[in-house]
Amino acid sequence: MAVASGRIAAPAAFAPTSRWRGKPAQVGAIVGLWLVAYFLLKGQNLDWPASLTWEELPRKLDDAQDWLLEQRTADNPNPVFAVLEGFRSLCEWLVTAFIDIFEWLTWVGTIAASVLIVWRFGGWRAALIVFGAFVSFALMGLWEESIQTLGLMLAAVLLSLAVGIPIGVLAGRREGFHRAITPGLDAMQIVPAFAYLMPIVILFSVGPGAAVICTMIYAIPPAVRITALGIRGVTKDSVEAAQAFGSTPAQTLFKVQLPLARRQLLLSVNQTIMFALSLVVIAGLIGGKGLGDVVTNGLYSNAALAILAGIAIVIMAIALDRATSAIAERTDPTRQHLTDERRRRARRMTLLTFGLIAAIVVVARALGADALYPDEFETSTTVYTATIDDDLLGWIQDALDYVQDPASFIFGITEPVGNFLLQKFLEPLRLVLVETPWFFVLSGFTAIAFVLSGLRPAITTFLMLVVIGVIGVWAEAMDTASQVLVATALAVFFGILIGVWAAESPRVERVLRPLLDTLQTLPQLVYIIPFIYLMPVSRIPGVVASVLYAIPVVIRLVTAGVRGVSPTAVEAASAFGASRMQVLLKVKIPLARESIMLGVNQGIIMVLAVVVIGGLVGSGALGDMVARGLQRNEFGEGVVASIAILALGIALDRVTQGQRRVQPR
Amino acid sequence: MGKRSRWSLAVVLALMLALFTVACGESKDDEADSGSGSADAGTTDCGKVVLNEQAWAGSTANTYIAKAVLEDKLGCTVEITKLAEIPVFQAMADGKVDAVLEDWQHVDEYAKYIDKAGTVVQGGPLGVEGHIGWFIPKYLMDEHPEFKTWEGLKGKEDLFKTAESGDQGMFLGGDPSYVQKDKELIEALGLNFKHVTAGAEPAQVARWSQLYKQKEPVIFYWYTPQYLNQEYDLAEVKLPPRTEANKDCKDDAKEGGDPAQYKCEYDVTIINKLFSKKFAESGSPAYPVLKNMKLTNEDQEQVAKAIAGDKEDPEKAGQDWVDANSETVNSWLE
Repeated sequence: MAVASGRIAAPAAFAPTSRWRGKPAQVGAIVGLWLVAYFLLKGQNLDWPASLTWEELPRKLDDAQDWLLEQRTADNPNPVFAVLEGFRSLCEWLVTAFIDIFEWLTWVGTIAASVLIVWRFGGWRAALIVFGAFVSFALMGLWEESIQTLGLMLAAVLLSLAVGIPIGVLAGRREGFHRAITPGLDAMQIVPAFAYLMPIVILFSVGPGAAVICTMIYAIPPAVRITALGIRGVTKDSVEAAQAFGSTPAQTLFKVQLPLARRQLLLSVNQTIMFALSLVVIAGLIGGKGLGDVVTNGLYSNAALAILAGIAIVIMAIALDRATSAIAERTDPTRQHLTDERRRRARRMTLLTFGLIAAIVVVARALGADALYPDEFETSTTVYTATIDDDLLGWIQDALDYVQDPASFIFGITEPVGNFLLQKFLEPLRLVLVETPWFFVLSGFTAIAFVLSGLRPAITTFLMLVVIGVIGVWAEAMDTASQVLVATALAVFFGILIGVWAAESPRVERVLRPLLDTLQTLPQLVYIIPFIYLMPVSRIPGVVASVLYAIPVVIRLVTAGVRGVSPTAVEAASAFGASRMQVLLKVKIPLARESIMLGVNQGIIMVLAVVVIGGLVGSGALGDMVARGLQRNEFGEGVVASIAILALGIALDRVTQGQRRVQPR
Repeated sequence: MGKRSRWSLAVVLALMLALFTVACGESKDDEADSGSGSADAGTTDCGKVVLNEQAWAGSTANTYIAKAVLEDKLGCTVEITKLAEIPVFQAMADGKVDAVLEDWQHVDEYAKYIDKAGTVVQGGPLGVEGHIGWFIPKYLMDEHPEFKTWEGLKGKEDLFKTAESGDQGMFLGGDPSYVQKDKELIEALGLNFKHVTAGAEPAQVARWSQLYKQKEPVIFYWYTPQYLNQEYDLAEVKLPPRTEANKDCKDDAKEGGDPAQYKCEYDVTIINKLFSKKFAESGSPAYPVLKNMKLTNEDQEQVAKAIAGDKEDPEKAGQDWVDANSETVNSWLE
């Protein structure tokens, strides 16, 4: 289960098997039997039996946390704490160093340095975006918070890469090691940060250092995965050629594998940034200052401000993404065939850039520019307001007021849609999952996994569901599963439609890109607020949040898959006189089936990642337990729910993974 | 690489290093200037005081009132953190946060940090009293005066029916992180309500305020002091009173057990101030002032309304209150 999976290789050749055709029928039969069992046996309360439950688990986990706390506060603490403290200070020092640099440069210098460096190495388009980002932080009146978040992100990303890339390289070179760490990586991404926040605080206290560590847990896995993918993607021929010429393993790595995997390595930088940014709000809860703080506190007292800070996070994500990918593109040595003359010119440009930055900083400091962008400019006669946040907040508030008005036009559409979803899909499905006797549910999922994915995935599915039962959250997990399935179905349905459309029309893709970036980085609590008003039915806003979070990944995978269909196949079909629609439906989509299945699979994982947010907006079940775990310090219960989310994730992943594990080696 | 490229690289690196050292050097100076309140034991110089603002408007109000007093009257530098309610205990234990002014009785943490480890100390009541209960809009109470007590709800539950509560009435539960026992109460009182969790407080407010605007019936978990009480006209449904006979009655369903033992109104929550032990023993002049600080529910709601309702700058709202209530403030300074 690769949450952050990179490029998808389009299947070079594909032979329709009768087995695949038979699968829908087989799954249908299993579901049919399941429904029969439901109608015959519902209402008999055949819940997971108490005798098969390990009831003391939450208490044991609570005790473990208390023990940790005692160790920490003991008079002579364990030397391990000294090591942890050292690591925390390193993280904290790094964050402070970044923020201090920005402040020392003054706000003028910060803008100049970032824009000029990106211009030099990434081109003017990216530089313009970076410039726009800084201008908007300034105008939004969120300069200080943005700088704090930027410092936190840079430190977290740097450390995540420092840890993740070496592990990724190792995983790319040794399949056994890769397989051994995969479950750990899955756990790091699926277990909600809420669950381990308190142990982190006990081990590392609060503050920017702890926030960085918390972010790293989430941001390291994509760095490892994409790096490993890159190293493995280096063709065997190149490696063999290097070995044939007598390269040592180290030489092969540094001169062949790493340079050839350059694009993937840069993609991993890029994805690490994105994942790190999506944890900003959580980091705010344990003292990572900045935009995350504004979002959480704003939600309780000033929703417009929370939304504004959320927008600033998105702008930062887009700017960092465009800047890093532009720099990656521009500095790719395979694209530059430099003569000595051009090389000299490039060096002069670099020197000029840094000279210019230094000059601007010196002048700015001499003229007394502030460390942070000021709220107002003063001249001898008048004071000018330097930000437009009052206007912005006013507009957002107007929009919120409109959404909150139950007499509005849009509410007349969204409310019935919400009720329809709840009454026709969510509730019936929940009843089927919760009320069918547990052994039918267990064997049903296992059988579907066997049909779709094979024996080993079926065994894993079975074991994972048993874990859920044994830790005592069967009913909650089935409730969550019903929400996850409905959300995934919606995300996949709309994701495939939009993804195919984007693959066919580059213009659509161009319009979509910033929109998808926004959905992936805007803190979910921010965009979910309007839906609480628009669809006022408990579980629906949570489902909407998951759909919106999962859909970008589905769209991207589907688009990449359809695009990746070999042109020869398309040409052949067109030559036989197929219309564009026929080519799409009969050639492209069937050939892109692997990517579409991967989209379904990733969709489920992304949906699960938002379960906790669902808990915060009324979805109940597992998400609720995790959210309560932190806020009321019911640690044991929170961890149990997290284990269930992880187990459910792995089970649903295996059910839907299909045959894609067979990788060409 | 040619000779020249190495040279230019060296210049760039040296430049960056120079910028960096200057930046770091300067930042160290900053730290020395501001100093740390907890470290300056025994001096009368106030130094830095770190207060934690909890994630609700009432806490913003009292934190900024304290900030105005400490900065204005004692010349302290006040830093405000915004940690979540539970992690802040560890922060106080580590001396990273000096004080929390509004803690809603986290008894589990009191046992661990105050009684056992002794790293956090009680700072006495803030004076604000928390009251939890079942609330309905005033217009509904006017229409159905029998809702003044819970008995009046019996048999009329289906008035509160919604799409998700089926044929039962909907009771909108509170933020799952708050102390509550409504599921147990509903069962113990034999009411035909379905307890629906709306999630975190902003989500719960969204749900009931919308029904309020539609003038629909709604009943929900709510509390005072809360600045929204100044914006919405709400009325309370009286639950079975606490008497001598049921003095063992419990409030926090987290404790589990038979619903019958929760069959009474919520007890008044005394809101506490908590201090880091390091801060309490630092000799900082801010400590006695914060310990003396007292507010009423009205004070707090008024300032919270200015901040959250009227979107005033918290600094200004806090300062305005301090200016207008110099007598109260002076009594803290004695």
